[in-house]
Amino acid sequence: MNAQFFEALLDPGLLPPAGLTTWNSSDPAARFAVYRNNVIVSLIDALADTYPVTQALVGEEFFRAMARLFVRQEPPRSRVLAFYGESFPAFIETFPPAASVPYLADIARLEMLRVQAYHAADAIELPADVIAQSIARIDELPELRIKFQPSVGILCSPYAVVSLWAAHQGITDISTVDPDVPENALILRPQLDIEVIRLTNGASSFIALLLQGKSLGAAHEAASLAADFDLTDILGLLIQTQAISSMKIH
Amino acid sequence: MHKNTAASLALALGAAFTIAATPTAAIAASNSSQEKCYGVALKGKNDCQAGAGTTCAGTSKSDYQSNAWSLVPKGTCIKTVSKTSSTGYGRLKAFKTKKS
Repeated sequence: MNAQFFEALLDPGLLPPAGLTTWNSSDPAARFAVYRNNVIVSLIDALADTYPVTQALVGEEFFRAMARLFVRQEPPRSRVLAFYGESFPAFIETFPPAASVPYLADIARLEMLRVQAYHAADAIELPADVIAQSIARIDELPELRIKFQPSVGILCSPYAVVSLWAAHQGITDISTVDPDVPENALILRPQLDIEVIRLTNGASSFIALLLQGKSLGAAHEAASLAADFDLTDILGLLIQTQAISSMKIH
Repeated sequence: MHKNTAASLALALGAAFTIAATPTAAIAASNSSQEKCYGVALKGKNDCQAGAGTTCAGTSKSDYQSNAWSLVPKGTCIKTVSKTSSTGYGRLKAFKTKKS
């Protein structure tokens, strides 16, 4: 019964599950259709809440039609709707009708990273003297492992994701944005507000390596291969945005 | 090599620490490669969605699959989207099941 009910819920082509009855002897199929519609529409609404810029880029009709297909294909696995649609960007990427907007999937990734940053655990403040002490123990510096706040995420894109996103927040003028310029984003929530910051290639690979658990020395060495890498710049940004939660050996 | 790395790390970290401790105006000036975009905090999401999801508006059985595949994205940001999407805006008209 449950499996049949579930499948009929997602596929309007299927007959309603057998054994349904109504209190006023109206047609159970019609009542079930209303319920099915409410389930699907509420999930599409949830996706629209999470992906407002993605929706703005393709228009509401296209977005909702695309979201409807996704909802049928990947119904929620959890009762928590906040993270529903984590795989929506991957779905968009392989959705042929969206291919003419090639940056759409990465914009969606940026929006999901913002949702994740929003719900991530609050920042653990790095004690003020930790950095000074690290500098004092100069020999240990290359061996340091840097841990980041739970909200920290990065996105590397072949498209101008940060500028496109910012244009939809009224921060930049959309007509000045060339979507084909690669951009990298750092997403984090220092206090209560989420920040989206554009990173150079060197800076984003530096953070990516540190996130992977590489030592400060190893990450520095590898990231230095990028022509635009500036160690002081990126460390200054990480300190200023309180992105770092700990600096330790091991 | 190891010594050099350690020294350059110490130097950079020291400079970064000093920069970060100064008022933000100084950062903005010295960090032209980075751009800060303050986001708008997302509204809280409930596990239960009210609004459109609770209406009984449409009970359509139409198969969106075929419709969706003939759809071509329409941009509200025409200036951005038009660069890459070139075909079939007109088809959107046929799709009338908005928010069904």
